[in-house]
Amino acid sequence: MLKLEGIVGHVDDSAIAAKLHHLRHHGAVEYVLLAPADTQRKRLRVTSDAGTDCAIVLARDERLEDGSVLLIDDQRAIVVRLDELRWMVLEPANLSAALELGYFVGNLHWRVKFDGERLRVAIEGDESFYRERLAPMIEKRLARIVDVG
Amino acid sequence: MRTEATIRIAPSAVKRIGPARVGIGGPVGSGKTALIEALVPRLIGQGYDIAVVTNDIATREDAERLQKSGLIAPERVVGVETGACPHTVIREDPTLNLEAVDLLDRRFPKLDLVIVESGGDNLASTFSLDLVDYWLFVIDIAGGGDIPRKRGPGVLQCDLLVVNKTDLAPHVRVDMDAVRRDVAKARGPKPALFTNCLTGEGIDAVIAELRRSVLLDA
Repeated sequence: MLKLEGIVGHVDDSAIAAKLHHLRHHGAVEYVLLAPADTQRKRLRVTSDAGTDCAIVLARDERLEDGSVLLIDDQRAIVVRLDELRWMVLEPANLSAALELGYFVGNLHWRVKFDGERLRVAIEGDESFYRERLAPMIEKRLARIVDVG
Repeated sequence: MRTEATIRIAPSAVKRIGPARVGIGGPVGSGKTALIEALVPRLIGQGYDIAVVTNDIATREDAERLQKSGLIAPERVVGVETGACPHTVIREDPTLNLEAVDLLDRRFPKLDLVIVESGGDNLASTFSLDLVDYWLFVIDIAGGGDIPRKRGPGVLQCDLLVVNKTDLAPHVRVDMDAVRRDVAKARGPKPALFTNCLTGEGIDAVIAELRRSVLLDA
């Protein structure tokens, strides 16, 4: 286990970018892939794409983001890469269905974005869970899934 | 000459890393407090410096139960009265719990771990990751063998599912093999463990998972 305490910088920092460029040429940059929700965590255990078992520990005011550098020295670097957050686009059939859909989604505490007459729901975890929960509304043609991506 | 990188590295290096924060949620009577009572003496015995925040709707009964238990120094337990839905103070607005954790952190600067116990709730309760780094959801066999099949957000989203009171299965006509299959299906690759908190069965496995995933020393 490699313990990584704190964020040492970002891939866009000029001094770090130059060093990363050099390390990339030697295949010495490892990436840890995180789900967007995991950026809220201050402690997590992940395996890098090179198989390094990483234990990440952050101070309470630090927050991981895409490009956070957790380690960089002459031998290698370890960089955070964020998995893209996917959104399910829902279209209610009419005004009363929109009210019902809004209540339903709010009751489940799903993260949403308003998009005109459509509602975007963040897919945090397994997509099938969202489809299962929406199935009764879809079957009654109160709403339809326009897109997931 | 100091580069931008060295300037950014220096503040991180001196930042104080606080204790791990672990949430324990689950329905009323599932065994959340019993799990804490099983975990605390074992963790203290392994050298961990621990404190606990408990949540109750209108009393401090769980806090007082722990304070009087002799398992942990009473001043290391803080009770939060939620006053309303227990999930509100662990998810939507965890301010009261954040204040309680900060109080313990200031009072005991060498803490390794703060456990935050939610008030008893339903299968939909989840923790904000602004409050905890990792959270467990405790369900119990006496609550019904169908709970894993109901796929509540607590069961699906928690970092570790604990299925407690396994010894009661034959007394409440629950088929443990079916429960294990349903749990595996609901959880996918995420971990789930089976316990009997009163006898200590399965508790070492819970501790091993906490050490691996959040205490980060195993």
